[in-house]
Amino acid sequence: MAENEERLRRTMMFVPGNNPAMVKDAGIYGADSIMFDLEDSVSLSEKDAARVLVYEALQTQDYGNAELVVRVNGQDTEFYANDVKAMVKAGIDVIRLPKAESADMVKQLETDILAAEKEFGREEGSTHLMAAIESAKGVLNAPQIAAASDRMIGIALSAEDYTTDMKTHRYPDGAELEFARNMVLHAARAAGVAAFDTVFTNMDDTEGFYRETEYIHQLGFDGKSLVNPRQIEMVNKVYEPTEKEVLNAKNVINAIEEARLKGSGVISMNGQMVDRPVVLRAQRVMRLAKASNLVDEEGNYIEK
Amino acid sequence: MDNQIVDLYLSNPKVKRDWEDFLTSLKITNFSANEVDQIDYTIGIYSGDDLVATGSVAGNVLKYIGVCNKGVTTGSRFNAIVSELVNRQFANHIYHLFVFTKLNYSDSFQHIGFSELAHSDEAAFLETGSPDVNDFLTDIPRVDDQSDKQVAGIVMNANPFTRGHRYLVEQAASQNDLVYVFVVNTDASLFTTEERFQLVKDGTVDLDNVIVVNGGDYMVSYATFPAYFLASPDQAVTYQTTLDARIFRNVIAPALNITTRYVGSEPLSRTTSIYNDVLTRELPPAVEVKVIDRDQTLTSDHQVITATQVRQFIKKGETSSLTAFVPETTAQFIQNHLTTLQKRIQEGMNIDGN
Amino acid sequence: MEIKETAVAGTLESSDIQIMISKATDGIQIDLQSDVEKQFGDQIRQVITKTLNDLDITAAKVKAVDKGALDCVIKARTIAAAQRASQTTDQPAWEVL
Repeated sequence: MAENEERLRRTMMFVPGNNPAMVKDAGIYGADSIMFDLEDSVSLSEKDAARVLVYEALQTQDYGNAELVVRVNGQDTEFYANDVKAMVKAGIDVIRLPKAESADMVKQLETDILAAEKEFGREEGSTHLMAAIESAKGVLNAPQIAAASDRMIGIALSAEDYTTDMKTHRYPDGAELEFARNMVLHAARAAGVAAFDTVFTNMDDTEGFYRETEYIHQLGFDGKSLVNPRQIEMVNKVYEPTEKEVLNAKNVINAIEEARLKGSGVISMNGQMVDRPVVLRAQRVMRLAKASNLVDEEGNYIEK
Repeated sequence: MDNQIVDLYLSNPKVKRDWEDFLTSLKITNFSANEVDQIDYTIGIYSGDDLVATGSVAGNVLKYIGVCNKGVTTGSRFNAIVSELVNRQFANHIYHLFVFTKLNYSDSFQHIGFSELAHSDEAAFLETGSPDVNDFLTDIPRVDDQSDKQVAGIVMNANPFTRGHRYLVEQAASQNDLVYVFVVNTDASLFTTEERFQLVKDGTVDLDNVIVVNGGDYMVSYATFPAYFLASPDQAVTYQTTLDARIFRNVIAPALNITTRYVGSEPLSRTTSIYNDVLTRELPPAVEVKVIDRDQTLTSDHQVITATQVRQFIKKGETSSLTAFVPETTAQFIQNHLTTLQKRIQEGMNIDGN
Repeated sequence: MEIKETAVAGTLESSDIQIMISKATDGIQIDLQSDVEKQFGDQIRQVITKTLNDLDITAAKVKAVDKGALDCVIKARTIAAAQRASQTTDQPAWEVL
């Protein structure tokens, strides 16, 4: 796991890497993560141009606090090596490996990243990575993939290729993805990394988008990949904690603070011991509440 | 994603029907085979199930560009389509592109880097890329103090170069300090561009003040002008010849100080005769038009010399009849390449045109 | 970097710039078309020229059609066009990026 301090990853917005208008504006929508794409959204003849464009944008554009991710071309392509080098040199936060099928592929990427960090004088270990699971093999190897590197921040399910590999396609009820979603999620949780759900491409079906987002929120995914900035607000709404959750979390935080002041090693609340998962969940709820502007600076719930 | 470009395969009847319906709604209605068959490929943008933009390419010409701007920023789909076509052609190493379009779209094309070469009341002719008309003009040989000289121009297909052509060049050469002979660059003729160019050169080598130039893309053989967006064939002929005349008048002639254009009278070809009429209407006063009477160049038995007749001789193998019609240089070339030329005719090369 | 053939990068879409680079014998000539030519023409030319100089290109004919590109986009498209023109797209000019 790359970071002990878990960050919010509700929304990972796809940005076609050869589109200057979208690359330029990617920071203004408030996505938690921005994923610049050098792979499927870029035609073969434009791979070189997209790589340079994303590189130069990363040098000059302000993307605020968003986590910056680049999806490089697959390891079996002629573009992969230069994609990885350029993005490490650019100082990208995370490199996303498409079509991950084994831990070895992740380890290869790790080796290539390390070589690039050395070549371009970047701090070793500063470039994180994530893997996209897009095939039956990838799903079955998800636990090994998720745990393959200390640089790993998360794994994502990519349903278009996966459903094709499974000889089906996407359906509104998502039954065809049930196994893959649960595998990816369990693999991520077991390895202590984030889990990202796949994209939802029909922009006209708002109801369907909410249904799917609520479902993956219920399962426990950290967030969802998005193709359109309009979806960011919708996902955030689903991930917004309830007033009760916030108040409860605030109580836990207060209990932690109290224990710290008392110099006590044990956190207790309402006569019960507060164990680590409860603390972590409370911290996550407070982060969500802050991101949703539900609490003030001190973490107190703002009455609507 | 917005403005997602897709390939349209017109070989698929359903796709072709949608494409025609969409263009028809934009008042582009000519889908005759001689226009559509030249298309190399077609692209489009869909919004849901509806085609909302399309464009095609035929060689170095963009065709059938049609865009619906309903519900989007005006110009964004147009730019996306033209951009994609231009980039694909560039990727295919075709760096110089043309578009013939209704006059009211000229501005849209100019806005994305096209330069207008000429326009008439209903149509415009634009280019983009490299080498452009300035490069073409720069590469044409000049003489010292050309701006003080009396300079004339002749445009000919010379398929092949005849005694009639020779007479035209001689007349111009005797009346001017310098004569440019532009050989039309099209390979839709029995003799290739390279062959025609060489025959004109060889047939005028003794005339010191004649410079033979490949007409490039700017002495357009009017047969190649697409006219799918114009209503009637008559309108098409007029617009094509008018554009051609205006490029010569506005762009070519001033750059080379050409003040006279020589043309041969056309007793036998109606289209060429219309063309000469348009030149006479369009070129003066900037460029004077001198029509040289063909009757001056009859053969000894009073036949009008035409390249069409020469091609008939080739077809029939009557090489002995050639010398009355063509200079020695052309006759020699035909003798040496008779079987090749006859083979081209057998393989379907049309020899009845101009 | 030696220009071997004409090459283009970029599109005519909003926020982009299309850059075409061809061989020239001396100097960098830039033919620029832009809606903001008056306000930013010099700056756009300067970014193109500097980028080409950084790539060790001292003679080139450049045609640029600007649709409101930021400097970083102008630089990126110039690099991409130059690498294509010199047939070196598979060897990125790391020192210039």
